[in-house]
Amino acid sequence: MSSRKIIKSKYFFEEDFVESLAEVPVEKTEAWASGAELKVVGKPTQRKDGYDKVSGSAQYTFDISLPKMAFAKTLRSPHPHARILNIDVSKAKKLPGVLEIITHQNTPKIPWYFGMSFLFDTTLRFEGDEVACVAAESEHIAEQALQLIRVEYEELPFTIEAGQAMSEAAPKIHDTNILRGRPDTYERGDIEKGFAEADVVLEETFTTQTAVHNTTEPHCSVVNWDGDRLTVWDSTQGIFSVRDGIADSLGIPASHVRVIKKYMGGGFGSKLAAGKYTVMAALLAKKIGRPVKIALDRKEMNLAVGNRPDSVQKLKIGAKKDGTLTAMVHESYGASGAYPSGAACSWPFRTIYQCPNLNTIDYSVYINAGPGRPMRAPGHVQGTFGMDSIIDDMAEKIGMDPLEFRLKNYAEIDQVGNAPYTSKRLHECYQQGAAAIGWYQKRRPAGSSPGKIKKGIGMASQIWWGGGGPPAYATLKLNRDGSATVIAGTQDLGTGTYTFIAQVAAEVLEIPLDNINVILGDTGVAPYGPSSGGSTTAPSISPAVRDAAEQMKTKLISGAAAILEVPERELSYRNAVISAITDSEKKLGISDVVRQMRERVLVTTGLRNANPEGYTINSFGAQFAEVEVDIDTGKIRLLKVVAAHDVGRILNPLTSDNQFHGGIIQGIGFALMEERIMDPMTGKTLTTNLHNYKVPTVMDTPTEIEVIIVSDSDPLISNTGVKGIGEPAHIPTAAAIANAVYNAIGVRMKSLPMTPDKILHALFG
Amino acid sequence: MKNFTYFQPENLKDAAKQLGNNWKDRLLIAGGTDLLGLMKHNLERPDVLINLKSIAGLEKIEYLPGKELRIGALTKITDIAEHPVIREKFTALAEAAGQVASPQLRNMGTIGGNICQRPRCWYYRGDFNCLRKGGDICFAVEGRNKFHCIIGGAPCFIVHPSDLAVALQALEAKLIIFSGKKSKSVAIKDFFVLPDADVYRENILKPNEIITEIHIPEPASGCQSGYLKFQEREVWDFATVSVGVSIKKNANFIETGLVVFGGVAPRPWIEQKISQALTGTILKENTISELTDICLQDAEPLEENKYKVVLAKNLLKNLLMRLNNI
Amino acid sequence: MTIELNFTINEKKITLKTEPNRRLLDILRQELNLTGTKEGCAIGECGACTVVMNGKAVNSCLVLAPQINGAEILTVEGLEKDQRLHFLQENFLKHGAVQCGFCTPGMLMSAYALLSKNPNPTEAEVKEAIAGNLCRCTGYKQIIDAILETEGDIK
Repeated sequence: MSSRKIIKSKYFFEEDFVESLAEVPVEKTEAWASGAELKVVGKPTQRKDGYDKVSGSAQYTFDISLPKMAFAKTLRSPHPHARILNIDVSKAKKLPGVLEIITHQNTPKIPWYFGMSFLFDTTLRFEGDEVACVAAESEHIAEQALQLIRVEYEELPFTIEAGQAMSEAAPKIHDTNILRGRPDTYERGDIEKGFAEADVVLEETFTTQTAVHNTTEPHCSVVNWDGDRLTVWDSTQGIFSVRDGIADSLGIPASHVRVIKKYMGGGFGSKLAAGKYTVMAALLAKKIGRPVKIALDRKEMNLAVGNRPDSVQKLKIGAKKDGTLTAMVHESYGASGAYPSGAACSWPFRTIYQCPNLNTIDYSVYINAGPGRPMRAPGHVQGTFGMDSIIDDMAEKIGMDPLEFRLKNYAEIDQVGNAPYTSKRLHECYQQGAAAIGWYQKRRPAGSSPGKIKKGIGMASQIWWGGGGPPAYATLKLNRDGSATVIAGTQDLGTGTYTFIAQVAAEVLEIPLDNINVILGDTGVAPYGPSSGGSTTAPSISPAVRDAAEQMKTKLISGAAAILEVPERELSYRNAVISAITDSEKKLGISDVVRQMRERVLVTTGLRNANPEGYTINSFGAQFAEVEVDIDTGKIRLLKVVAAHDVGRILNPLTSDNQFHGGIIQGIGFALMEERIMDPMTGKTLTTNLHNYKVPTVMDTPTEIEVIIVSDSDPLISNTGVKGIGEPAHIPTAAAIANAVYNAIGVRMKSLPMTPDKILHALFG
Repeated sequence: MKNFTYFQPENLKDAAKQLGNNWKDRLLIAGGTDLLGLMKHNLERPDVLINLKSIAGLEKIEYLPGKELRIGALTKITDIAEHPVIREKFTALAEAAGQVASPQLRNMGTIGGNICQRPRCWYYRGDFNCLRKGGDICFAVEGRNKFHCIIGGAPCFIVHPSDLAVALQALEAKLIIFSGKKSKSVAIKDFFVLPDADVYRENILKPNEIITEIHIPEPASGCQSGYLKFQEREVWDFATVSVGVSIKKNANFIETGLVVFGGVAPRPWIEQKISQALTGTILKENTISELTDICLQDAEPLEENKYKVVLAKNLLKNLLMRLNNI
Repeated sequence: MTIELNFTINEKKITLKTEPNRRLLDILRQELNLTGTKEGCAIGECGACTVVMNGKAVNSCLVLAPQINGAEILTVEGLEKDQRLHFLQENFLKHGAVQCGFCTPGMLMSAYALLSKNPNPTEAEVKEAIAGNLCRCTGYKQIIDAILETEGDIK
């Protein structure tokens, strides 16, 4: 067992820096060198979970069915702000097949939303807030029962727009409508001096919409009590976070809760924590003594389980004639929804371009709408849109090519942390991306495209954290036939975790991929693994897997040394055969070693190493979009997207391509059509289905998406040199499209999504 | 979905009898693609569902050369989109059919059901007690109305969602309606009603009436038709604005023309002025622009849907240019 | 009210009694435990529940139980024969046309319906065929490639 120590570990997860203690190996296994010849890692590898998913045998939480299972449905507030005066469930309880109904009247006051509310609160702060939950013999009966529950509401004044909610006169949702009572701020340098030095100053306001994750699989849980022990199948991105959330809510030991998630249909940040629905199902299951399944419908998903906050960004930047940025100011506000959720969007603005004088102010504002949740790169997607729009405007104003302007203001070090990057190859992203899209050949001055179908090219930059970090563990078990099982407490959202874990173990132990079984998503059997968010899964887990495999290799060599009576240092390990360097007759297959060791199963547990001190870890990228805009209809069509990224080592190009395509297409959705729309008079949401909330179909996607990875590894981070890709893939797409649209029509679209009505309005008034 | 009794009539008489003479919770089901959604959201809560598929002869496409095309009400939208005669001679209909919803929905949805589908207004479909559902106000007037109508609206500002209805209107179809005992023929222009005439229903069908066939007259020689649909998403969306046109040309001249818009009004909207103005013109790019400028002059857009006027004009222009190979 | 239904699923004849307000999707998932067919929206707006009925792709969430009487239905579970994946499924794996996998069964069935009718489709025809299936995490390119490679007689 390699030696370990506990350190203070700090890394960025979704919305904030997380600081915690973490166990790490004292010595980091040396990283695979850049350009190292690897046999499995980095090669296109079919999914380990592929058969299950194409054959239909894959069981998602939504598919779990247990004997005697009952079904739960939730009654939700029809009002954006109301007080419950009375609930009468008597009629609903009499409906045949109804088993139990829970409300605030017959359940403990379980704190929720950071103690600002309860599982069942009597004040309802958004349409969709939970009022009651029914368990019945079928989903159908539960739904009917909901209609028989009589609730008397006192409707309260509401506010659904962040700008209005900030005003003195606005109805108060909490003590103050501003999260933490103050904005997030950041500053460096002397902003007045910076603007004084500028030859050109631009000021502009950009807005982005509220978007909703709309995963394909609904949020759902199946819960089952065995006495006082609870098993939960949950469609979740974080089995341990769900376990702890449930244990805390129910006041039972964490050891009494087992959370299982094998397959899931998407998360995008909306499934990171225990949901109210899971706890409600657990309470109902306890009361009726039967397993309970609860699955949200599409309307509930659009009301109550998270969204990307909207933003209003007032930006001001100054530059010298030679293109040097001298001052940048970002002031924004965005709607958190009814409970805490960060709406800040200035992170990219602070760091990606070199600028000595910079201020940011971000207000996160409570409104009477469903609370936000992290959604694929919190703050960054909206922030990059505003930032890269005004950067393009400035480049045009001073007569520079937008790409040259960005290179002119290239930040060599992290200006916020005042530290060097472990790696930064953004300039290569610019170069290679530009070449792939034909930037210098095809791009024309804004608005100069002839005819009714106007073509344009635009680009935007990407920065994100995604370096991962400790703690993260992986356990490796080697069987006596030389096959292996890796168990990790992370989960595969479909992003390829099962597959890359097997690849890393196969690479080290040199055994066939097919002989490696991977078990994920079960708090009952796995050592701790972090939630899958923030593009941290692969960077956190892959080094732990490699560590476990390297330890196993050491153990095997040690065993072989004992059997062969040859010193360890004189043994070589190749293709799962250990042989004496000096005497090739002396050799043992690893299965021979295990057989002779009589243990039947050898076990090692690997750890994620500490991140290097004194460095900042970020991923970078640039995306380029070529669009055409039909000025007769206002329709924007994507012709091509090029995504060039610095994301360290790619473990599996086949699955990383999925991530890039998926991220880009979600970016297209955000740029062109996705939007939560609310009715101003009633405070209710209008986009509660997939017709009104539009997500891109195959026809809305470009014919060509080209993914270029400029990096081969970031050896300073970990032994695998991986940075995450889920969020980087998505961050700059909408901004690149917006710049391409400007290039096509010569009119700046300052508001997302760029729907046809907005384009027509911008062009023709 | 509420429980209901399922009735399988053998003939139209049985079906009509089951429907009865009063509006009550008895509904016909054809493809079910709209009805099941309405039932899921409790907008319809039928006690009895009457399956039209059990009646023989309602699914057919019959072409009587020189006379008319007869389409059974239960004919699937896919079959209409792919039918060679419809594609060649009744092009607007085939083009409209090919752009309805998704392949799956076209495989299930029927022409009769498509014409009779309920509005897609997000207030009507949502949890709002709006005028059309017996409430007091149309929420769209002061609310979010970018997809609502720009003409013919008051007091309810829905748009009619059917693609096929627009094309059928451009082709001057007739609907054969079985009403209790016998069938009658109704010109499609007389079938749809505006909200000021009936705010609860989109057409004239009485409780016991059933559309059985759609008849489209054979186009005279020199006739051409087409349908252009604009939707916010590239496919699988309802028309923001659509236009169906049929024109009869004599050499370069337009002898007659009919222009019908979808997505602008609570019914397929016949643009009389344009249709008249088309007569006698020679279509060139500049004359088309002049023509289209006069369309929808009476439109009264709401706060968020002024763009529909521009869009409608441009779509009409593009369709006329396409039909004239300009 | 209970009705009796006779139909074929994945080449197996089935007779069962059920209520008329059940949907084909419920029959598949609840009565027959064929949970490969997914539910994403319940109103024909996502395509996750697509199955092939009488040779055509349909949304099983919008088919009422009585409407399947006499029908021949194929679900994702019916593609694999003799413990061998169908070429179409294999090509989905080969091209990486699967990510979370929740839309995959629906995609496969839309693709199967297309290829049964049109064994050598163009890219445009492939796109058209899957235009009623939403994918939220993979993108569509790999799916198109997988379908295009599955040429010839798909039976």
